[in-house]
Amino acid sequence: MEFQIYRFNPDVDQEPRMQSFAVEVERGMMLRDVLLEIKRRDESFAFRHSCGEGVCGSDGVNVNGRNQLACITPVSDYEKGPVVIRPLPGRPVTRDLVVDMSDFYHQYHAVDPWLKRKDPVPEQENLQTPEQRARLDGLWECILCGCCSSSCPSFWWNPEKFLGPQALLSSWRFLADSRDQAEDERLDALDGPYKVFRCHTIMNCVDACPKHLNPTRAIGHIRNLMLKKSV
Amino acid sequence: MSRHLSGFRAWMWQRASAVYLAGFCIYALARLITVPPVDHQALKSWVGNPGMWLATALFFLFLLLHAWIGVRDVILDYIKSAGLRLGMLAAVFVFVLICGLWVLSILMGVL
Repeated sequence: MEFQIYRFNPDVDQEPRMQSFAVEVERGMMLRDVLLEIKRRDESFAFRHSCGEGVCGSDGVNVNGRNQLACITPVSDYEKGPVVIRPLPGRPVTRDLVVDMSDFYHQYHAVDPWLKRKDPVPEQENLQTPEQRARLDGLWECILCGCCSSSCPSFWWNPEKFLGPQALLSSWRFLADSRDQAEDERLDALDGPYKVFRCHTIMNCVDACPKHLNPTRAIGHIRNLMLKKSV
Repeated sequence: MSRHLSGFRAWMWQRASAVYLAGFCIYALARLITVPPVDHQALKSWVGNPGMWLATALFFLFLLLHAWIGVRDVILDYIKSAGLRLGMLAAVFVFVLICGLWVLSILMGVL
């Protein structure tokens, strides 16, 4: 089976090129296995990977125009056509399929992704009702692979100012948490025309998320909370 | 705590104005179809009615506000250079202002 791989080494290449590899595929093979086989043949080929089971979020790549985790994408999904693998779009390419995720992590940090308490921290457990805990489902599962933010045109245009779907999903994860006591502070930090309101509900993030999370819905919840607080 | 969010306020006004614009368009079209004005004078007197005049003035106010926020969003998305962005925002603002004054002069003529 033929795989076309994006190649670019800034130390050597003037511009990127696509390189074709024929790899014999086996039943149950994932795209990560194909990339490992290519790496075995050509040691200069670079891509990120780690756990191999969709947990670490390292091997986000763009496959035939769609962001995916290579380790949980079966090759059999692409039996009919050629497979074109590129780096995550909109991010500066460090080498081949490795991109610079600095903006992405910077935006994640910007939403203070940890519990903030004004009351003293309880000595033992910080209890929640089952309903309060259930509000966090669909939020905590994010593995920071970057498939969502790097598929978002608004994030391509303003990666330094727009928080992006991943950071906004994380922001809502803490706004929705009954144990967090910094709602006003968090909403104030989302002030301005760029941080939240560059989202135009394009929903590429929802389509791309390998964990089937819904950042667009989380952003809607943030806007609704702002509305609730303003009236 | 400040709730004067430039992003939030713009977003809220864009949606609120959209609701008014849709409602006004439906009403005006329904009225023009069901009771079509026989001549220009009849149309003028319909718009010149104080209630309708106020509703029409609000329609254009919200239309210009809606357009300003929409174009502002496009500029914020695409224009990276701060100077060019400021220049384009100013140009669009002046254009919207001129349109507003023009609409106002027309509406004052109807009264």
